[in-house]
Order: sequence, then C-alpha cells, then structure tokens
Amino acid sequence: MNGLPDQAYAAALAGLDRMTVARLGVLLAHLTPAEAYAVAAGQMRPCGLVARLFDADGLAAAWRASAAQRAPSRIWQQCCDHDITVLIRGYPGYPAPLVEDPMPAAVLFVRGDVDRIVGRRAGIIGTRNATGSGRETATTLGRDLSAVGVHVVSGLARGIDGCAHRGALSVSDGAGPVAVVASGLDVVYPREHARLWQEVAERGLLVSEAPPGTPPEAYRFPLRNRILAAFSEVLVVVESRASGGSLITVNEAREREVLVMAVPGALRNRAAEGTNALVRDGCPVVMDATDVLVGLGLDTRRAGGVAYDPRPQPRGHDAQLLELLGEPSTLDQLALISGMTLVESAMAVARLESAGWLQQVNGWFERVGRVR
Amino acid sequence: MLAAISSATLLGVEGHRVVVEVHVSSALPSFTIVGLPDEVCREARDRVRAAVLSSGFSWPSKRVTINLAPSSERKVGAGLDLAMAVGILVADDIISAEAVAGFGFVGELGLDGSLRPVAGIAPMVAALGAVHPVVPVASRHEAEVISEQRVFVGRTLRDVVDALKGDAPWPTPPVEAVVDDTVMVPDLADVRGQPLARQALEVAAAGGHHVLFVGPPGSGKTMLAQRMPGLLPPLAPQVSLVATMVHSAAGVRLPAAALITRAPFRAPHHTSSIVALVGGGTASLRPGEISLAHGGVLFLDELGEFSPAVLDGLRQPLEEGVVRVARARASATLPAQFLLVAATNPCPCGGGAPGSCECDDGARARYLRRLSGPLLDRFDLRVPVHRPEVDELLVGHSGEPSAVVAARVALARDVAIQRSGSLNAAIPASLLDSLAPLDPAAQRLLRCELEHDRLTGRGYHRVRRVARTLADLDPAGDEVVREQHVAMALQFRVRLSPLLRGRVA
Repeated sequence: MNGLPDQAYAAALAGLDRMTVARLGVLLAHLTPAEAYAVAAGQMRPCGLVARLFDADGLAAAWRASAAQRAPSRIWQQCCDHDITVLIRGYPGYPAPLVEDPMPAAVLFVRGDVDRIVGRRAGIIGTRNATGSGRETATTLGRDLSAVGVHVVSGLARGIDGCAHRGALSVSDGAGPVAVVASGLDVVYPREHARLWQEVAERGLLVSEAPPGTPPEAYRFPLRNRILAAFSEVLVVVESRASGGSLITVNEAREREVLVMAVPGALRNRAAEGTNALVRDGCPVVMDATDVLVGLGLDTRRAGGVAYDPRPQPRGHDAQLLELLGEPSTLDQLALISGMTLVESAMAVARLESAGWLQQVNGWFERVGRVR
Repeated sequence: MLAAISSATLLGVEGHRVVVEVHVSSALPSFTIVGLPDEVCREARDRVRAAVLSSGFSWPSKRVTINLAPSSERKVGAGLDLAMAVGILVADDIISAEAVAGFGFVGELGLDGSLRPVAGIAPMVAALGAVHPVVPVASRHEAEVISEQRVFVGRTLRDVVDALKGDAPWPTPPVEAVVDDTVMVPDLADVRGQPLARQALEVAAAGGHHVLFVGPPGSGKTMLAQRMPGLLPPLAPQVSLVATMVHSAAGVRLPAAALITRAPFRAPHHTSSIVALVGGGTASLRPGEISLAHGGVLFLDELGEFSPAVLDGLRQPLEEGVVRVARARASATLPAQFLLVAATNPCPCGGGAPGSCECDDGARARYLRRLSGPLLDRFDLRVPVHRPEVDELLVGHSGEPSAVVAARVALARDVAIQRSGSLNAAIPASLLDSLAPLDPAAQRLLRCELEHDRLTGRGYHRVRRVARTLADLDPAGDEVVREQHVAMALQFRVRLSPLLRGRVA
C-alpha cells in the first residue's frame, strides 16, 4: 500500500482491543502483516483458520472500531519517535531464545540493539518489598555477573529487579542488561526508574510485548514474566514472598526447562519465605555469582582474591554488637541482648552506621555488606 | 423607668463588659431586645418573661426595650438572661437602682426562674471589673478563681432579688469538701520494656520537643502518649489561669476547685474538623482543641489519617504559640502553646520488621506523603516504637514511675530556663554554638551524618537541641554536649521508609 513497512502493520495489530498472544499468533502465521491488518480492520474477508477467529462474539466489531483509531502510519510514527524497533516472529532480527517458545510473542517491541545480546543470560528476579540485604545481594549478583560477561535479565520493577539492573550497569564495560517490561516502552513504570530505564536502553536491551503508549495494566505482568523466563538460561530468585509475581516467573521458567536457583534467607524474614521454600524443594542455592556461573556451566575458577573492604574494622562494643546483629533488630532489642545500656548501644550503632556496617530503616537496624 | 445593669459576653477566650439598659414606658405592651444579640441571646425574651412571672413578679404591661451596650458588638449566649431580668425589675421599680449598683450579673434563666451556669463564666467575670459578680451556684468556684471581689451566688431569680432588696441574706451553699478529682494520670511504671520510647518521653517533657511515635499497631504508642502529662511539672500560675479561662470559655468541665493546675491532655479523634481543632466554630469563636491543650499535651493519634488541611492548620500555632481566628464579624487571638505528641503507623498495614510490610509502594508513598514536609519538620523527636518482646511483657521489670522521671524533668527544665530563658526546643539556631557547644567527638559524629546525607541542615539543628536536653538530663552532664548525647539524639530521628530516604531527616 502506501509504502509502510510490515512492522508498522504488526505494531498496529498488536495494540488492538481484545488482541491476545494467541490471536496475534494465528493472524501473523497465516497472513502478511498488511493483510492481517486489512482483515482486522474489516477491509478484507478472512478465510480459513483466520475466519474462525471471528467466531468470537463481537470481535470483528471491536477490531474494526479499534483499527479505525490505530492507523499503522501513526503507530509507526510513534515507534520511530521513541526509537522503538518492531520485531516480528519469523523475520530476521527476532531474538533466537524466543523463536521456539511454547507461547511465543508474535510481535516484540525493543529499544537498544538485539545484536548486543550475544553472551550467556541469567535472570535475576525477586520481590518489590525487598529487605536491605536482599537489595544488596541483587546488586552484587548483577554487578559480578555483568563483569564476567553474563547478561542480566530482569523486569525493571522496584526492589530486587531494579537493584539487579543497577548492579549490572555499575560495571563500565560489563555485559548489557536485558529488561523485559509490561508497559509500552515509552511508558516508564515505576516512574522513579526513569533514569535506569534509559540507561538499560542505551547499554542493553529493553523488551516489551506492548506497543507504545500501553499503560502498565496488571494482567500484562504475568505475560511479561513468561518472556523474562524465556530470555533467561538460569533464573535466580533473590527474595520472594510465599506467593507473588516471582513465583509465576519460576513456573514459567520450569515449563521452559530453565534452571531455577534461589538465594536463601533468614527463616523469620517474610521476604525470603518463597525462596526458602524453593530451596527446600531442591532448587540449587545461590550465594554468589560463582554459583550462577556453575548453573550456566561456565568456568568457575574464582577470579582474584578476597576483595578489599575499606571499612574500618569495628572493635570492642561495636564488634560485639555487630556480631549479635543476625536478623533486623531494634535498638531496644540490641540493648537487651547485648546487655549494654541504651546509650552504649546508641553510641555503638551510630559508629557502626557511620562506618557503613549497618543501616537503619523505620527504627530497624540491618547489617549491610560492602556495596552501598 | 430606666435601668442599667452590668453583665458580660464572650468572644474567643475573652469576656467583654456589656451594659444591659432597660427602658420601660407606657405604650402598647411589647418586648424587644436590640444591640446585636445572637440567636440564643434573642431567645432570652421568652426565657426572661417566663422566669420573671414564675418567680412571682408581675410582668409590666408596657413597652419594654432592652439595649445591650456597646450595641455594635455581637452578644452571644444566654449569660445575659439574669442581667435582663434584674434590669426589668429595676425599671419596674421592684428593686431600687441603688441596690444593684456594685453588682454584675451573669447566668442563664430557666422558665421556672432557676439560675443555670453558662460557658465562659471565668473570662466574663474577669471582664466585669470591680463589681461583685452574681453567678449561678454551680459556677461559684469558677468565678472565685478569677474575681478579686466577693462572689455572690443564687439558686433562683427569687434568691437574687430577695438578697438585693435586703429581704433575705445571700444564699451561702455549704462549702462542699473539695475532692481532689484531678483525673488519675496514668503512670509510666505501667509501661513494660520500651526503653527508647520512655527516654523519648522524658526528653520531650524536659526540652519541650514535639514528638512523633512511629510504630505498628499494638506497640503502645497511645499508652506512651497518655503518660506524657504525668511527666510535666504543674502549670505556672499565669498559665494555669489562662488554661482555666480557655476551658471555661469552651464549656469544658473544670476540676472541682475550678483552677486547672495540671497539664491538660487533649486527644481529638482523627476525623476532627479543622474548626474543632483550631477553634472559631461558634459566634463566640469557641476555642478549639489546640487551645484547650494550652500548657499541656495535644495528642494526635493516627496522624496520617487526619485530613491534610487540618494538619496544615496546626503549623502557624505551632510556630507562634497562639492561633488567630478571624471571621467576617469578629476575630480573636486564642492561646495555643502546647506540646504536640503524635503517633502514626509506618504504612497503612502497620508494617513491622523489614520485608514484612504488605502494602504496595503506591499506598505506602501516599500514606507517608501526608506526613512529609513542613509538619514532619516540627517534630524534634521521631521515635520508632516496636512491639515489645514477649519476655519483656511477661517478666520484664516495670520501669521507673512517673514521679521519679518527673523530678528529673523538672530539674532539667530549670537548668534550661536559667541558661537561655526558654526550653531547649526554642533555642534559636544562631545561639546553638554558645548554648549547646559540642565536644570534638560529637562534632565528628554529626559531620559524618551530614556527609552521608543522613541529616539535613534543619535536622542538624534539631539533633543539637535534643542533644542539649539529653545533656541536661544526664546527671554527669555539663555545659558541653558530648558524643553519647548526640548518638542518642540521632536515635530519635527514625527514617520513615526507604522511599523517603534522604527526603526527611
């Protein structure tokens, strides 16, 4: 027709009301994108298998109305404006790990260069309500994996996801991270990750199944999780509640025979209930990046010695208190178990906090590692 | 045919003298009240007429005009009833004009002629000046606290008229033994565990620092706050008088001896309106909760549930110690110097240990956004409160009783007032270096907090004031603020959430 590429029609189709992964798959398996769009817009009569799609109640009308508002030229303009590349399954450039997926995405939207993702890929996921130590683990794993050339795949959500990406980006020449998100690539969610979002697009790959302008609707997240799982070769769960989005990703990964690994946590830590259950059920345990490399079947010789810790070693009361700080505690509890007075404990935690050994949130003190 | 009787009306917490002028003349019988009476005051027509008749006097079948002078000021309430009735009887020549000279009348009349108390007796009696106040029996103590003249009382209009005419002596109701009905203030000894929060209460009382308790439900925030008045010293005579006036003006029950000597404790519910809190709801500009808390404690439980407008309304009074209520017809300045104690959950679900919160981030951010900003800045102490350990509840020894802590508080307050003329919370930032000098170790600690962005400039000053109070409370303390005081003061600045990290310190 008027010189628009196939990708423009595919992008317009992907955004139609009541479009599902399966319907889009059927349309594009039997028709070219331009034909498929014409069929959906009611300009062409469907035939064969495609015609069966229209048996669904009111679908033809819904698509016709929605197609009228989603002109391929306009959608294509949006994609171009935001530097979004449209990938169609079966066309060159479509990411290899997703081609043979049991529930493949017929159309993908990406920012960044797919060719950048050449190395091994490890997913790092977890709860949004992470503890300080969970965030720290995610950051460390992201950093160490990226440094040895493993692409970190995650979902750019708050908590563990964001920390994993941040860690991966903190290595200046590390492997670029892959972020699979649920909203359109021009709709940053959560908003405080705007900068992170941009950096991932610049140095790694930002992937979504949703066309530009799509809000982060709740049902899109489980769908996003399946792409995240498909993109990963191993999936590391850092912290997860007894139920939650991470465990959906775990199930998706198992369906795709992706190795699931888990970081164990304290027994009383609610944010680690899900991961501890995974460990009990036989998931391999991850304590550092080396364990992930083992999971990927890579060289596991440890590089270098123990990293230098610039923090001053605590002494006396401080060391004693730090020793006692197993799980998050309050100042009252610390004073109680250490037998010190309130003032002595306050002095000790003030020194430890200023030296970077612990952090306080909401009146709870937690040990922190080297990464700040 | 003409009478002028002294009485008073109420505006805010101040009484204003009113002269009730009664004119009775031969014309068609009628009864009018002029001089800006409000609705209640206008209804005095019917009350006064019925009371005069049922007290056994005849109603003049003439034209009766009452003017409430000065006629440009609004008169509120039923307190002028008695003065009107007496005025009519004087104008009708039942009582002589000389007999009422030197008296001022305040009280509401019942239809049967009985005398009833009204709100604001204390400030109204104060406004009467150098006359003998005549008030209802129930208001005697309240009037005596204020008046320098002998106070006369009556049970009914008849009592008052007979006494004025000299037919009977003034009623002298038996002086009931004044029972000390000061509400039992809960004792700090009831609190098990919670050493940090207990210390925060002590510091708040000693330094006049506003305090915010942050903790999950059931951690004892309310219990702690209720113990605050018990730690404060008795009110100074001047403050005690003002507090009594405010309570009287608001019509809040006074102690048996009328004078309020202990720090008041007000705990308005979080659905309270801004007018209920700040004052000015009625035509007389009734004082609100913050004025009733004058000299004492205003406790706002569930701070995050108060409407943002109400919380904003607190900012100016917190700054100035008074609240200026202005309406189209009138304006009043009400006292509002109080210690603000507030309690809040860290998030809608109540939170608890890290990782156990069930709120989504949006809900938590929305919840905390109400608290953040200028109001949160007024709290020198933001204290984390946690559910006590089971052991502490069951076998923990109970802590010090209120009396012991209150003694230390009183000493520290004296020290502070001798040093700077005010409590430590009011030390201006410019004088901190001279009034609260830091030793080198304390300086290092604060510098480190500032460098790590865990403390803002304003937070820095607040920590220093709190550390000053801690040093004053320390038996080994002296004029220099030491490292341990600063370290402790830093524990009273809980960071509310990772989401707000750095924004509020």
